[in-house]
Amino acid sequence: MAFMYSIETIELSRTFKRNKGRLIYALRDVNIKVRKGEIFGLLGPNGAGKTTLIRILATLLLPTSGKAYVLGYDVVGEANKVREVINVVSGGERSGYGIMTVKENLWYFTQLYGLSRRDGWRKVRELIELLGMEDFADIRLNRLSTGMIQKYNLARGLINDPKVLFLDEPTLGLDVEVAKYIRRLIRKLIKEDPERTIFLTTHYMAEAEELCDRIAIIHKGRIVALGSPEQLKKMICDELVYKLEVKGIYSKLGERLKEAGFSKAVSSKSDITTGLTSLRMVLSSEEEAEEVVKWLIGSGYKVISISKVEPSLEDVFLKLVGGKLSEE
Amino acid sequence: MRSRITLLLKVAYARAYVRIKGGNREPSWVVWEILLPLLAVASVAYTYMILGAPREYIGFVVIGGAMISYWFNVIWGMGNALYWEKETGNLETFMITPAPLEGLLLGMALGGMFNTTLRALSIVLVGTMAFKASFNPSGLPAAFLIFVLTMVALYSLGMCIASIFLMYSRSGWRAAEVLQEPIMFLSGLYYPISIFPTLIQLLASSIPLTIGMDGIRRSLLLGYNLYDLRFHVISLSVMIPVLAYLAKRMLRYMELRAKVEGRLTLRWM
Repeated sequence: MAFMYSIETIELSRTFKRNKGRLIYALRDVNIKVRKGEIFGLLGPNGAGKTTLIRILATLLLPTSGKAYVLGYDVVGEANKVREVINVVSGGERSGYGIMTVKENLWYFTQLYGLSRRDGWRKVRELIELLGMEDFADIRLNRLSTGMIQKYNLARGLINDPKVLFLDEPTLGLDVEVAKYIRRLIRKLIKEDPERTIFLTTHYMAEAEELCDRIAIIHKGRIVALGSPEQLKKMICDELVYKLEVKGIYSKLGERLKEAGFSKAVSSKSDITTGLTSLRMVLSSEEEAEEVVKWLIGSGYKVISISKVEPSLEDVFLKLVGGKLSEE
Repeated sequence: MRSRITLLLKVAYARAYVRIKGGNREPSWVVWEILLPLLAVASVAYTYMILGAPREYIGFVVIGGAMISYWFNVIWGMGNALYWEKETGNLETFMITPAPLEGLLLGMALGGMFNTTLRALSIVLVGTMAFKASFNPSGLPAAFLIFVLTMVALYSLGMCIASIFLMYSRSGWRAAEVLQEPIMFLSGLYYPISIFPTLIQLLASSIPLTIGMDGIRRSLLLGYNLYDLRFHVISLSVMIPVLAYLAKRMLRYMELRAKVEGRLTLRWM
């Protein structure tokens, strides 16, 4: 079947009814086109609509309006065809049966894709080797650590050799080493099969920047920006990004600066161990930076340092949404 | 179509494998599934013995105790299967595969039947040895046919219950509870339903378990042959396609509603 995109959504919307019939828009008129062989990132804070979008594309949820296609198959009308070519792995998921071993669980999932018993066990052996799970393949699922569970989840996600793999926060809650390993594996998966597409949601900015060919930023159900990491960073090339340090713990300082009429793109973070509050601001000129410093000093704050920094995706997000991912 | 059926059977086999293997890794199931139900049967058997009831009544109780195990498995093993699969996050993973839900339910039913059959056989064995219940071996073929038909009808009904759990989750427990005690009462678990007024007898006869239990009792205790039990066979044979069709429609409808309302992945409800 000829199709242009691995994933395509057209004016896709999804609402949920909340208390007293109030409608909540989880997704609003989402239009994205993901190419074959791409690692496509969907970046947004909790509740932005990332998981809702994945659930619709994975046929778990029906859209309220609009269309969505995976490898040319309609996710509503051709759900079974979609299910044959996709898989989903979520960070922190614990699917499987705790009382069964890793091997037994993986074999169970091979059967859901119709593999013969022998082919199922062969596939399990291959995946155990690919993910380096030999040490815990015979251990029950309910006795695994978080890192082991996530390797198992990835193995499960590869059981049907999916052409489109949805990874929903795949490194959530993992230690640095395991997260690194998973990122390496994601790159390897694309390298081994250039036809494969990976659709990744994350709220780790660095992860999106490191892995993704293109990134869509989603906020309150809407796609607010879409492009390669470089293209997105160019969105703030005419502006300057400053990092300031203020002595003391001021959790509301970012909001106070916004109220004072300075840039809407301000994030603040306090560190009780150093006793400092760090600010990151997207400003239009050096003069505006001087005014910020003057305002801070005039308001009784002690400015420790100010420096101009290279814009990152975090700053693009800051400018588009007005806050850091973690603050949302 | 053929590949769809093959997939359904593979899924059913795999789920039954998990149920049997996983279930038997917790040896405590022997206590819950075999020893405790035996106590219930024993207490009724002793009551009949003290009252000086005819010997057939003991066989009556033993068959009732054995058969009701399957009904409990239908309600709590198969009916709420989708509820537990959803709560543990497995339903979400299952639903993104091409595997049919019917396969999952069939697997749960077959896996559950394995342990339930051990429970039922234990009840029959203890009933025969400890309470001297006696059965008529010539009724075995008729009893077997009626047993198989009853199981198919019951598990189709279980699929209907499962679809209620799929949609309403914890609230589905109420529906299952409604189906537990009243059916124990109406099915004639420890007594013949002929003691009921005609209207209640008619109502009770619409339950496959009642017909199955009555047919098996008549064959194993009174030696009825297949011809004598033709109305039992016909009734169950009519119920099966009706219940199977209803189950399939209900499952599809509830799955669709759950996807529209976003309940398929909603936990703790």
